[in-house]
Amino acid sequence: MDRYIINTPEGTKDSLFCECQDRRKMEGAITRLFSSLGYSEIITPEIEYYDLFTASGYPLPQETLVKIIDRSGKILVMRPDCTTPIARVAATKLKNTDFPQRFYYNQTVFRSNVAHAGSNAEVVQCGIELLGAAGLKADVEVLVLAIEAIKACGINNFYIEIGHTGFFKALAKELDAPPETIELMRSYIEQKNFDALKVLLKPFADKPSFDALNKISHLFGGEEILAEAQELTNDLCASRALDYLKNIYNELLAAGHQDKIRFDLGLVQQINYYTGMVFCGYIESAGSIVLTGGRYDKLIETFGKPVPATGFAIDILAVLGCLPVSSPPKLKSIIHYSFGSLAQALSYVATRAPGTCEISPCLDLAGSKKLAKKKGACRVVILDKENETEVKL
Amino acid sequence: MNKLKLALTKGRLQDKSVELFEKMGLDCSQIKNPGRRLLLTVPNYDLDIVLAKATDVITYVEHGICDLGIVGKDTILESKQNFYEVLDLGFGKCRFVLATQTGENFYENYQNRCIATKYPEVTKEYFTKKGMDVSIIKLEGSVELAPVLGLSNAIVDLVETGNTLKENGLEAIEDLYQISARLIVNTASMKMRKKEILDFIKKCDAFGGKND
Repeated sequence: MDRYIINTPEGTKDSLFCECQDRRKMEGAITRLFSSLGYSEIITPEIEYYDLFTASGYPLPQETLVKIIDRSGKILVMRPDCTTPIARVAATKLKNTDFPQRFYYNQTVFRSNVAHAGSNAEVVQCGIELLGAAGLKADVEVLVLAIEAIKACGINNFYIEIGHTGFFKALAKELDAPPETIELMRSYIEQKNFDALKVLLKPFADKPSFDALNKISHLFGGEEILAEAQELTNDLCASRALDYLKNIYNELLAAGHQDKIRFDLGLVQQINYYTGMVFCGYIESAGSIVLTGGRYDKLIETFGKPVPATGFAIDILAVLGCLPVSSPPKLKSIIHYSFGSLAQALSYVATRAPGTCEISPCLDLAGSKKLAKKKGACRVVILDKENETEVKL
Repeated sequence: MNKLKLALTKGRLQDKSVELFEKMGLDCSQIKNPGRRLLLTVPNYDLDIVLAKATDVITYVEHGICDLGIVGKDTILESKQNFYEVLDLGFGKCRFVLATQTGENFYENYQNRCIATKYPEVTKEYFTKKGMDVSIIKLEGSVELAPVLGLSNAIVDLVETGNTLKENGLEAIEDLYQISARLIVNTASMKMRKKEILDFIKKCDAFGGKND
């Protein structure tokens, strides 16, 4: 009988040595940043009830959730996202606290993906949620943190791209089209399927938002596209969304971050989840989005208390993939100690650079020398009571 | 900066793409005579070409290994990955059809209908949208055999002329989707290398034979 012993489940992997160090270093840099700016850590369970996600309108299909049946027959899921559980906490445990509240997390989320597509089943996310604050100041704060967080990873060649769900929603409303048509249009815009969008829009040529919708998939790039978009519409709500983005840009300009900012008015993913500004992060040499975020003012209300909120998550492994794996330190010394000198040996190791020396488990010196040769160390340090001698190899 | 990388579907779409590229003024000497090489370059444009099977074109583009890809809409419909589908290139035209043995009425029956196909996802989605519950059997080739031998009531397959259907006693009773070659783009590449990619799309669009 074949047994599943050798392989880890698809989409998972073991991490060793420098892979772990690099990851912890990056997580440390990001979480220190969050913490220094007044965000406190939140840890939520790795398993939650399935209902938590279905009731709150979790946007990914049910087959992407990793499920477990508990002893009483209830359906549990491995946490597929960090924001929904935090929303649950905000509406329940924090019901009577004073908002705003600022949280950060460093947690793994779990996905059941298409087989053999090379995607991760475990996604390590570092992110923040700013709960109980609506409006420009909260959105700009979160955007600046997103920029600073990627910089803290030692990466400089990246963009944060901002959109606004209100722009598309306002234009779509003007069409007076059935919801299925709007949804189809939204998916064409999401895919930047210029041709299909053109065909779909043909019957709406007399509607005021026709021009803007026709060009919406092309409206991405620097802040100049905001003015370009403004030329295309007279709709009040659409203009308001553009003004809002312009204000965001001005604030980020004042903070000195303008060169990291791009806009895409065709960011229409998960349009029923986000309620205002949305954004994502791209890094040169990463093949996919490494950061997603936005404003979600309706989510927490599904758990019983209306709280506006905004936040983002960084995909740590995707960012790590853009950097070279650091090389391991070279082993220099093998420590051979006599019985009674263990404390001395340990303190010797502890005061050297990590990974440059290790303690020999061999009983005789010859064994320790052999070990040193095998591992490529250049000397054996002999610790005997107070005496320290060394043999060069 | 690195050259743009385009994954090209080997075979029929490759020849048609070469025609388009030559109209665009690209030097296709390598692509026309690749020998056994799968990594090719266009000497007079900042473009490298990777030759791959259709489904793999999508995989390479989705992972960002290639910035661009040329692949049939049939493969896109079946795989549903995450990328931009920016241009209908107009060549490689064919259609997805539902076909049964000549004279059989597929819909006039309350029994569960069984469909054999190489494209289970396309089939499932089409009939779900119709509100109809069907059984699907995946075959790897010669799908026309299935209704004739009694494995299924109908097939969903790609058809260009319909001759193969006819010769096996089948007829197309419904068109599901029109298919042609598409230019696809990795989402991150589109944002990080907007100018070069939009230039390339524009050139393809200007010389593309949508009216073929």
